[in-house]
Amino acid sequence: MTDAAATPGPNAPDLRARALVASYERAGYARVQPAILQPAEPFLDLSGEDIRKRMYLTTDPQGRELCLRPDLTIPVSRDYLASPNAGKAAGFCYLGSVFRHRSDGPAEFLQTGIESFGRADFAAADAEILALGLEATGVYGLAAPDIRIGDVGLFAALIAALDLAPAWKRRLIKDFNHKSSLAQDLDRLTISASHARPEYQGVLAALAGSDPKAAHALVTDLLSIAGITAVGGRSVGEIADRFLEQAALGAQSALPREMRALIERFLAIAGDPDEAADALRTFARDTGLNLDAALDLFESRTGFMAARGIDVGRIRFSTAFGRGLDYYTGFVFELHDAGRPEAGQFVAGGRYDELLTRLGSPVPIPAVGFAVWMERLTAGGSAQ
Amino acid sequence: MNGVFVIAVPAKGRLQQNAEAFFARAGLELVQPRGARDYRGAIVDLPGVEVAYLSAAEITQLLAQGTVHFGITGEDLVREMIPDADSKVILIDGLGFGHANVVVAVPQAWIDVHSMADLDDVATAFRLKHDRKMRVATKYVNLTRDFFSGHGITDYRIVESAGATEGAPAAGTAELIVDITSSGATLAANGLKVVEDGIILRSQANLVAARTAKWDAAEHAIARIVLDRIAAQTRARAFREVRTRFAGCNDALLAEARERFGVAAPFGGPTSSGMLTLHCPPARVHALATFLREKGAAAVTVSDIDYVFTRDNPLYAKLEAGLGG
Repeated sequence: MTDAAATPGPNAPDLRARALVASYERAGYARVQPAILQPAEPFLDLSGEDIRKRMYLTTDPQGRELCLRPDLTIPVSRDYLASPNAGKAAGFCYLGSVFRHRSDGPAEFLQTGIESFGRADFAAADAEILALGLEATGVYGLAAPDIRIGDVGLFAALIAALDLAPAWKRRLIKDFNHKSSLAQDLDRLTISASHARPEYQGVLAALAGSDPKAAHALVTDLLSIAGITAVGGRSVGEIADRFLEQAALGAQSALPREMRALIERFLAIAGDPDEAADALRTFARDTGLNLDAALDLFESRTGFMAARGIDVGRIRFSTAFGRGLDYYTGFVFELHDAGRPEAGQFVAGGRYDELLTRLGSPVPIPAVGFAVWMERLTAGGSAQ
Repeated sequence: MNGVFVIAVPAKGRLQQNAEAFFARAGLELVQPRGARDYRGAIVDLPGVEVAYLSAAEITQLLAQGTVHFGITGEDLVREMIPDADSKVILIDGLGFGHANVVVAVPQAWIDVHSMADLDDVATAFRLKHDRKMRVATKYVNLTRDFFSGHGITDYRIVESAGATEGAPAAGTAELIVDITSSGATLAANGLKVVEDGIILRSQANLVAARTAKWDAAEHAIARIVLDRIAAQTRARAFREVRTRFAGCNDALLAEARERFGVAAPFGGPTSSGMLTLHCPPARVHALATFLREKGAAAVTVSDIDYVFTRDNPLYAKLEAGLGG
């Protein structure tokens, strides 16, 4: 990004893009320029195999897989982790190209954005990130964007508070980001009794209620009697553990119809943040579930948003809103052009407190940020 | 390959033999005028056609690019190698050989895994326990990704495998595999089993047409001749010819035979003397012969058919529809 030196190419940032990133620098976020060529592993690992078909991949002479960066969150996070400041509170902004196979646009396109690491004041940091995201609409002359927000932490709190087998909790959390799977899960949860398998129900029944050690010994014996050796990375112990879980699920299979209704009632809660908070408090009181910590954070965040001058009444919150990426852990948001909802979000982000751990940090480091899709803003701005 | 209609045929082994036998049955004799080592050939009485002998993977690529008009390749390769395959190629017909299933296989020791839903659960548990994702060894990267995505499975990584994929779990380079199998014997020998709803694709060799090849009048004319012969042969193989003649043979009897045995009467109903020619699926021939004798036939003859040429050509119609769309 040698800004003014050479003739600008097709992807050179325009004046508004540079003004926007300059405002982020003034807000205290240090401008960084991560390498364009990145190891592919972290992207595949964190975003899932689905991103592979959109990535530009290559292999170096040592056989390592490299890619042109498909986003900047992971490169900025990796550079921060490799720096002496890793673990300390630090904020960064960027403006540069990302690369993805797309059928509806050029593969190289500009993004700007912010990553904020290590801040312990979650509610204030979340609100600040939303406010900075909204600055993009000002710079590009978009008067009243749709502000859609969600909170993955609320769903996690609900699941934690429910009386459900660990296997179901694990599944529901994982599938929260994949809405069609979640509906399937709820179906399966309700009718799981009819899916029990007669051929090993006997073993499961025998295992139900037995202690893990005995179960482990039984499964090991069963395998050796059958002459089967364990291959691959899954140990006999893990197989025994899951057998136990299945046994527990079998015992619980009569319960869940009202559980399903309860989860669906929760997922139907939506509105502006104040209305939603009231509805969630009522929900918690009616059901006797303790969602206090997550709700306190939610309400405190709304307070900080109002303090930053955001018109809270215009925000549309939904408990069912997630960003479709596994690494979000809390607040999530998207900004859309109300006049062109089909164009997709032009700012998107949220909190991903586990990302840095999954990138190798020995200690948890909270993180929150967003990316701005410049081309969508340019298309929208010029139409104004 | 300018101005020539190119048919790509597998260059090696049983697939080549099967493909040549298939064309020969359809009256399309492939010849290699410069000997078996030559990778260019022709069809005996069809000038303007060039036969290119290539690997199945190359054939698939050239079909996607439109460099050849027709090719014989496995549906597994078409679905794996060509993104949005139906927009690039037309699968004209399954050829009845090269059968193989692309399946998800896990270690037999995973006695808690029967379904893809089990596998989804195990994948998430594996990541939480080991702090890394379960690895799937395969050469079918795209098929695997789409199939796993369809089952909501996200906690896995693909390890590309060029060969001997079934050995990957034992070698410790992957937890499970996606691979091709015809009998399952190789999987079993490697301590693996197929997940019940883990059959990604039931594949066989297909006659495939390239949408993006040059399709002018000359190419259409050649395609029509080739597909006419193939369709005539395909139809002939699907039926036996059954002939009889007896007084009680009438339209009501024909209607009953149609209903009960799925027969066709290619030359219309019985003549005034009760002469009738039927086309009958091979599996129903004996039942039909019994039926006809019960109704009064003194003799029923059954014979193989070499070709059935009809006015309509379903294979050519499929090509036309595909190219038009």
